[in-house]
Amino acid sequence: MIEQLQQAFLRFAENSQLNQLSAIILTLGAYQFGQYCYQRSGRLMLLHPVVIAGCIIAAALNYFDISYQQYRDGSQLFYFLLGPATVALAIPLYQEFRHIRLLARPVLITVALGATIAATSAVLLAGLMGAEGEVLRSIASKSVTTPIALGISDKIHGISTLTTGVVVATGIIGALLAPIAFYFCGLRDPRLQGIVLGLNAHGIGTAVAFEKSASCGAFASLAMGLTGAFTALTLPYAISYFGI
Amino acid sequence: MVRGLLVLFFFQWLGEWISLATQAPIPGPVIGMLLLLLALLIRQKVSSDLQQSSHMLVQHLSLLFLPAGVGIFFLSEQVLAQWPAIAAAMVAGTFISLLLSSWIVKSQVKSDD
Repeated sequence: MIEQLQQAFLRFAENSQLNQLSAIILTLGAYQFGQYCYQRSGRLMLLHPVVIAGCIIAAALNYFDISYQQYRDGSQLFYFLLGPATVALAIPLYQEFRHIRLLARPVLITVALGATIAATSAVLLAGLMGAEGEVLRSIASKSVTTPIALGISDKIHGISTLTTGVVVATGIIGALLAPIAFYFCGLRDPRLQGIVLGLNAHGIGTAVAFEKSASCGAFASLAMGLTGAFTALTLPYAISYFGI
Repeated sequence: MVRGLLVLFFFQWLGEWISLATQAPIPGPVIGMLLLLLALLIRQKVSSDLQQSSHMLVQHLSLLFLPAGVGIFFLSEQVLAQWPAIAAAMVAGTFISLLLSSWIVKSQVKSDD
């Protein structure tokens, strides 16, 4: 019975349109289930939809003996939409732009320094522990929102799948550890907490910030957009300058 | 909706084109995003059409990078060997960067008073 199912899946996979449909259904279904679990758990960070859906998809591919490459070919649609989604980040950025006027200098200085620290600390730590070129280039953009991080990783010849995994994990780790950092630094202003969340934990941090308050979320999305833009504009040059 | 998508794809096309023509290491969609931001700042308003299509895409951003994220389960042996270094960068690196940026933002705002 299971063998027949596996064979049927393999026949499916040979047909490119069916392969695409299966990949899309698997992705959408797993994501939907992930969202359900996340809501049900009271938005527990470790049960973020991406974590659950990622595990389900990986398990399904293993079970039905489908190669990752084949799934990747089938799910091109999602990858393609990341382009316009990146462009679309300009709209929330524009809508928060008037907030910059109030806290322009601290926001810009924090983002420029913070984005540099985020990339440097990752590359230095990993480098000290023996990681090499390709891996270092893949994790340098770990604090940048995924669509931009993927674009950067492509440009500087990182491993795009590693970049995505590291970015998502960083978002979750950052959102989990942020309250500890706020406690140590005595940072209580929700607007400033938002900046730190968006800067270090991109979209996931921004989502958590919006759960705290609207202005915390607004500043998080502002910091996320600025960090992405700043890193995209500087990191490729830094990488080639330091010859990583 | 259609007009919003048209604007987004147009700016991405413009960005990709500039990225290719200038050989700049910046990804095309990022250039497109910056150009669209500039256009919006000049125009001083966002059409509801554009807002709708961008909301749809940004709201489910994590769905869009899910297939790429699954790749973390299928990394090559060579990369897996460097796993401790990657984990250190993610956990310790992120914590250091959280502490420093919290401290920076606080000192910045204090010095403004």
